[in-house]
Amino acid sequence: MKNNLKIQIGIALGLMCLLLTGAIVVQLNTIKEATRIVGTQYAEAGLKEEVIKWKEDYERKYKELEEKQETLETVRKDATKDSGRTKQLQEDLDNTNRLLGLTEVTGSGLILTLSDQDRMKLKETGGDPTQAIVHAEDLIQIINELKNSGAEAISINGQRVISTTAITCSGTIITINGVKVNSPFEIRVIGNYFTLTAIARPGGYLSLMEDGGVKAKLEKQNNIIIPKYSGTITTKYMIHVK
Amino acid sequence: MIILFITIGCLVGVILGVNAPTISYMYTDYLAISIIAALDTVLGGITATLKNNFNFKIFVSGFFVNAILSILLTLLGNKLNVDIYLAAIVVFVGRMFNNLTIIRRFYVEKWENFTKKEETERQKNKK
Repeated sequence: MKNNLKIQIGIALGLMCLLLTGAIVVQLNTIKEATRIVGTQYAEAGLKEEVIKWKEDYERKYKELEEKQETLETVRKDATKDSGRTKQLQEDLDNTNRLLGLTEVTGSGLILTLSDQDRMKLKETGGDPTQAIVHAEDLIQIINELKNSGAEAISINGQRVISTTAITCSGTIITINGVKVNSPFEIRVIGNYFTLTAIARPGGYLSLMEDGGVKAKLEKQNNIIIPKYSGTITTKYMIHVK
Repeated sequence: MIILFITIGCLVGVILGVNAPTISYMYTDYLAISIIAALDTVLGGITATLKNNFNFKIFVSGFFVNAILSILLTLLGNKLNVDIYLAAIVVFVGRMFNNLTIIRRFYVEKWENFTKKEETERQKNKK
């Protein structure tokens, strides 16, 4: 009887150990397989870190560049202090840079803030989610209308809109001048305030966007500061006509 | 005798596990919690054997009920986005330590008794 019970215990424990070790091995194999599949995500995380590192590096370099440009500016000013002809040239250069968007400018105008509708609120009101967010096409349309109503300088979230600026959709984010920007979009415009406010006319593009659920805020300001274009304009195919 | 059964069980389990196909990654949470439950059951079984109150039915039903309950808790936790399975793990691991303490005490006492016996025998021989 004693022996019989012992065998029973032995079989029970043995079976349980069989189950246990079998399950552990299966689990280990599965996790190994899964991490091999998920491995690309780890690689992605590594890349993300690298991007952040490069971005910091870039920002540091950019600051250095700005400092260098400032010294160049002072040197240039010093050099052109006396002669009248070089002064004229300097003024021309300044003017051209200003028109190209390569200098920081200030003036009166308006600030238009466009932002995506909150998801919670959207659920309550039951609006169309695709209409309640700001798309790249919307920005293009708005910028076009602003230009049509006499905008002299425009920036979106610190990105100056110049002649080579492209506004593109990159999935969930919008790219302007190759820089990723996100909602809310603060559009700063310098120009005649009264003509610029035509953007908010009833039945206009902005009011259509607002009907879709996009939140828009329009405010007048006297000394808006618009940053300069932070990239470089290079030309390769364009040459003067003789 | 029992140890022999356990070793054979472990060896066969490893062989079966290596040859078995892997499961979907989705179910690894549940398998993990059942592994913990099995580990708890094995230690509980050894403790019961030492205490001489091992019952086959209690042993097997204990494993299945514990495993199923913890799997259900994990499922509920996944649905509610709360890590409920942590509670099950805390209970299982706590019990594992308790059982381990009992097993340890048993063997330490056995060893102490053994050494004591030897000493008294030696003293008897001296006399």
